[in-house]
This record gives sequence, structure tokens and C-alpha cells, in this order.
Amino acid sequence: MADVSTRLAPYVYVCTRMRVRKAKLLPREDYLRMLNMSLTEITRFIEETEYKSEIDELGSSFSGIDLVEVALSWNLAKEYQKILEITPGALHLFTQSYLRRWDIQNFLTILRGKHQGVAAGRIKEVLIPAGKLDREFLDRLLTEDSVERITEAMRGKRLYPVLERELPGALETKSFARLENELYKGFYSELLSDVKSGVKGGSVFLAYIRLEIDFMNVRNLFRLRSGAVEGDIRDLMIPDGSFSIDELQRIAVIENAGDFIDEIQKKAGLKSITGLLEDLRNHRPIHEIEIELTRFMLAEMERLSKRYPVSICPILVYLEKKKYEVQNLRALARGKESNLPAERIKSYLVV
Amino acid sequence: MALKDVKPTRSELIGLKRKIKLSERGYNILKMKRDGLILEFFKVLEEAKNSRGSLQERYNRAVEMIAIANTFEGAIGVKAAAMSVKETPEITLKQKNIMGVVVPEIESSRVRKGLRERGYGLLGTSAVIDETATAFEELVEEIIKAAEIETTMKRLLNEIEHTKRRVNALEFKVIPELTEASTFIKMRLDEMEREELFRLKKIKAKSQKAEA
Repeated sequence: MADVSTRLAPYVYVCTRMRVRKAKLLPREDYLRMLNMSLTEITRFIEETEYKSEIDELGSSFSGIDLVEVALSWNLAKEYQKILEITPGALHLFTQSYLRRWDIQNFLTILRGKHQGVAAGRIKEVLIPAGKLDREFLDRLLTEDSVERITEAMRGKRLYPVLERELPGALETKSFARLENELYKGFYSELLSDVKSGVKGGSVFLAYIRLEIDFMNVRNLFRLRSGAVEGDIRDLMIPDGSFSIDELQRIAVIENAGDFIDEIQKKAGLKSITGLLEDLRNHRPIHEIEIELTRFMLAEMERLSKRYPVSICPILVYLEKKKYEVQNLRALARGKESNLPAERIKSYLVV
Repeated sequence: MALKDVKPTRSELIGLKRKIKLSERGYNILKMKRDGLILEFFKVLEEAKNSRGSLQERYNRAVEMIAIANTFEGAIGVKAAAMSVKETPEITLKQKNIMGVVVPEIESSRVRKGLRERGYGLLGTSAVIDETATAFEELVEEIIKAAEIETTMKRLLNEIEHTKRRVNALEFKVIPELTEASTFIKMRLDEMEREELFRLKKIKAKSQKAEA
């Protein structure tokens, strides 16, 4: 992304299209109405929206809740692929870079599935080709019969250097956890370098990415703490956030929970999420705090997109809002299926 | 033992007396065993009650967590994370003896895993996956514990039933029949003795008459 164009025309074009798409997303009132519907009513409601073609297409292969979930995922993948098509030049590269987390997720699912001997059909059901690796490429990966051959098929892709470096260790330990962590660390590192490469709005987005890295590191510190993981945790932390890796290691070994949270709150970069950290002190489950943070991050991104209307922010805010629309519909359907109370489902919605 | 099959002999009576003594000793031992087993059973019953309560609690928690995980991450996310786990828990079956009843002693390993051993990466998953995995690991642990207690309880119950049947058989069938047979032989022997005495008296009377 060295030759980033700073001309406004493509930004205006793409940002306008994103705003139109964003306006078509389901409003808060629809979610509140769906909270009082049954699963079949929700399916019918979804069928009357943007998801009709996917529901119709998959109706013969899936039914009930699985139909809803797979249709939502397919729609998300299709929508992201369309956005990749309409974004020109540097914006395209940046969007591609931002969506690479889906590539990591899909690649790891195939790798694990194949390693465990899961049938290709079953692995395919859980893939969401929303990134650069499209459905055809993922199908090709699914036809490979060994982990080594799947990795070899990735040669030339951005993930390949990390795969080449980490795969022997993963095969030796029979665990892809480290490989997965390294892929995500690589993702954030490349995303940060892409943001700094001159794309319009990159500098404001940089602060957002740093906040995300900080929260992920803090969240993972809490997860490690509740999982009683001791020792060196440096390899589990994402660099380039407000905390240095050594600082995170030092915080991780603090035994007292109160001192642990105090130490995190001292960081100036995390002032905006102080309230959430206080909730952690009150022993609120981490997954509930995660939803709060998602809401906070989305609101932050929305604020950035309004403040910088001709930048990458409106594109990213749409990508995120679309993702959460799918997540909300899925949460509604799954929550109804599991007979969770409406209030509880509502607390899991990002609206 | 039908009385018609009983030979009214002195040696048979001695044999029967020996059998009665043995049966009574066996009866007392079995009664003590039955009472001991019942005591053990009540101890295990208490454990089983706690274990069932705990099992139900952990099952409810696991069901709740998987519902939350499916709601939060979607079945796709949960299935993708589940594919990371390849190792299955190992169970070692040993035996222990409670008053002659062989009951299993189940030891499990690799059920509870640390965050690093679960196989999924920390950066690509959320805390709800950890909480769900922990809930299910705890459930599996409780199932293994409950399996040991429930099997012990079932085997103790079988053994109590078995012992009770033997005690009852001895108390109401074997010992009364042996006592009856012994009484019959005693009476028969007495009868035979009286007959013999009478016969002797008769012979004596006849021989005295002939002499006179």
C-alpha cells in the first residue's frame, strides 16, 4: 500500500454507497419486535429482508435454526465480497487487509477439521468466506488431504510466512493454538502498518485499532487469570498496544485482583473503558463485559465515521455494523431456540 | 427337606444338629453382613444424593453456557472452536472391596484442561468459549464421579437383596426344616426306643410265662 491515492473521488463514491447500505440495515425497533416473536416468525421476518435469496437458496439443504444461521453467514460473506468489488485501489487493499481475520478463521477451521478427520462437507458448513479467500479457494483447500498440503496451497498468500514458520511446531505439539495466536498477531501488525501507510482516515483509525488491541490484551489477561495460567504469557499478547509486552507480563503475575485491575486502569490509553474495568472488579462475567465493549467500540467507530465522513471510517463502520446485524439476528434465533428469556437475549444484542 | 426322606437314625440326627449349628452361624454372619451393607448403602446414598444434585446443577450450567455460546458466537463459532480438541479424557477403572462387594473406582485424567492445553488460540476466541469449555469439563468430571457412586450403590443394593434372600431362606426355610427334621428324628428315635422297650417287656413276659 505504498502508492496510496489521496484523491477524494473514490472515497466519496465508496463512502456514499456505504452510507446507503448502512441505512438499509435493520433498525433497533425491528430487533425489539423480534424479541417477542417465535423462531418461525423470526425466520419469516428475516426472509422478508435482505436475506431472502440466501434463505430460499439454502431452504432445501437446511432447516430451522441452522437455515437461519447458515443463511446469515452466507449473506455476510456475499456482502463483504461485494464491498471488496466496489472498493477501488488503496481502499480495496485496506478493506481486504481488514477482512483478513475471516481468512484466518476459515483457514484454521479447515486445518483443524482436516487434522481431526472431519468430513469436508461438515467443515464447509462452518466456513464464512467473507475475506480474501473466496469460496472456490476454500473448496480447493477442502479437497487437500493433509495439513501440509493445505498449508502448501496457501503459498503466495499473506498468511503463508507465519504458517511456514509455525506449522512444524504445531504438528509436533498437535495443537494449533500457537499458530492461531501468531496469525492474529500478524494480522494486527499488518493492519497497523497498512493504517500508517497513508490511507485517508488511517491516523484516526490507528487509535481505534490500538484500543481494540488493548482491550484484547486486557481481556486475555483476565482469561488467563481465571484459567490459572502461570508463567510466561508474552507469546499470548498482541504487541503495539498501549502496554508493552513486558508490562503485560508484569501485570499478569500480580496476585491480588484489586491491584491487578488498578495497574491496568493506570494506563492513560484505557481511560475510556474505565467503567468496564470497574465491572470486572465486581466479578461480572467477562463475556458480558465483551458485549459492552463491542457496543462501546461500535459507538466510537460511528463517531469517527461522522467526524471524518470521507475516509476509511464509513467503510469500516458499515463492515462492523453488518457483522453485528448478522450476529444480532443469530443471537435472537439461537436465544429463542434455547428458550432464553427475552431480556437476556436483549442483553446480548449489539444495537 | 420332606420328612419322608429323612432317615430316623442317630447318625442322621448328629448330622442334622451339625447342619443346624452351621446354618445358625451362617444366618448370624449373613444378618450382620446385611446390616453392615445397609449401613454402607446409606453412606453411599448420601453421597449419591449430593452427586445427583451437583450433576443436575452442572448439567444446567453447561446447557446454559452452550446456549449463551451459541447465541453469542453462533453454532458455527462453537463448532469451529470444538474442532480444536482432539484428545479425549482417559478413564482408569480400578476395583475396591466393600464387605465382599467388588465396586469400581474410576479415576479420570485429562478432563480439566488449562487454557493453553485446550487447543484453540486465545486471540481468535472469546471468553464465552472458555466458560463453556470449563462448564462441560466440570460436567464430565461430575458424570465420572456420579458413575462411580451410582455403580457402587447399584452393586450394594444387589448384594443387600441377595444377602436378604439368603438370610430369609435360612431363617424361614432351612433352619425350621432342619429343626423339624431333627425333632422328627428325635421323636422317631424315642418312639423306636419305646417300641423296643415294649418288645423287650413282651418277650420277657412271654419267657416268664413259658417258664411258669
